[in-house]
Amino acid sequence: MQLEKGRLSIACVCMVLGFMLVIQFKSTEDIRASQPSQRVEELAARLHQAEAENKELEAEIRDLRGMSGDAKSEKITDDIMMISGMTPLEGPGVIITIDDSAKKAKMENDPNLYLVHDEDILKVVNELRAAGAEALSINGQRLTANSEIRCAGPTISVNNVRSAPPFEIRAIGDKDNLVNSINMRGGVADSLKVWGINLTIQPLDNVWIPAYKATTKYKLATTSSKEEETK
Amino acid sequence: MIYAVVGLLVGGTLGFLVPFGIPAGYSSLFSVALMACMDSVFGGIKAACSGTFDDKIFISGFFTNSLMAAFLVYVGDRLGIDLYYVALLAFGLRIFNNLGFIRQHLLKKH
Repeated sequence: MQLEKGRLSIACVCMVLGFMLVIQFKSTEDIRASQPSQRVEELAARLHQAEAENKELEAEIRDLRGMSGDAKSEKITDDIMMISGMTPLEGPGVIITIDDSAKKAKMENDPNLYLVHDEDILKVVNELRAAGAEALSINGQRLTANSEIRCAGPTISVNNVRSAPPFEIRAIGDKDNLVNSINMRGGVADSLKVWGINLTIQPLDNVWIPAYKATTKYKLATTSSKEEETK
Repeated sequence: MIYAVVGLLVGGTLGFLVPFGIPAGYSSLFSVALMACMDSVFGGIKAACSGTFDDKIFISGFFTNSLMAAFLVYVGDRLGIDLYYVALLAFGLRIFNNLGFIRQHLLKKH
C-alpha cells in the first residue's frame, strides 16, 4: 500500500481531526449543559419582582412596628375598610360604559350576540383587576369579595341588585394600565366590537366609587385560630 | 493505521486538556470545518485504497478544504445566504460516497 509513504502526514492530520472532534464535542456539551438564555432572563425578572415585593413588605413591617398600639389598629382598620368596600373611595381611574349593540341583528345570527351579557362584564372586570384596579363598581354597586355578576333575565344582578344596560363600570387604578388592558389587541374591547357592542373608556383624574350598601352577615362561617389546615 | 489511531488519540487528549471551547457564535463555522476535515480524511483513505494517495495533495486538501469551508459559511452568513446547510449536505454526500467506495474496495480485497 502506498499509505506507508505518508504515515507522518496521516498521523498529523488525524491529530488535528481528533483535536477538532473533541473541541466540538466539548462545546456541544457546554451548550446543552447551560440553561437557555431566555429562561435565565425570565428567572432574573421574577427574582427582581420578588425582591421588590420583599422590600415593600419589610417597609410595611417597619411602619407597623414603629407605630403605637392605637395608630397601628387604626391603620389596620383603615386597610380593612378599604378592602371590604365599607367606605367610598376616590382616585384616578376610568369609567367604562357598555351598551347593547346598535347594529341590526342579521337574520342568520343569534340576536343574543348583539346584547351585553354577564360574561362580557365579568371579562371586563377580570381584565381591570389583572391590570391592578384597586376598587370597582358596576352601576353604583361596589364589587366586594362576595359580589356576584350574574345573568338575571334581561338584566344583570350585582350584589343581588339588578340593573339593565347601559352598564357603567368604574375602576380606580393606574389610568394608562387600565385603558391599555381593555384596549389591547385581541382583548375584550376587540371581541365585543365585532358584534357592535358599544364600549367606551373614559380616563379621569378623579373617579368616585360608592361604598358597599348592604350589610354583611356571616351566618355560618366563624373565625378560626388555625393558621393551617390540620387533618 | 496505527499512526492514524495514535494521532487521533493524541489530538483527542490535547483537546480535552485545552481549557477553552468554541464560542456559540462560531460553532456552525467550526462544525463545517470539521465536516471538511472528515471529508478529506475519508477521501485520503479512498485514495490510499485505489493507490493514488499523494502526501501533498492530502495535507493541502485537508487544511485548505476546512479553512475555505469555514470562510465560505462565514461570508454566506454575512450575506444572508445559508451556505451552512449547503456545505453540510455537500460534505455529507461526499463522505458517504467515499465510505461506500472504501467498503466496496475492502469487500473485493477479501
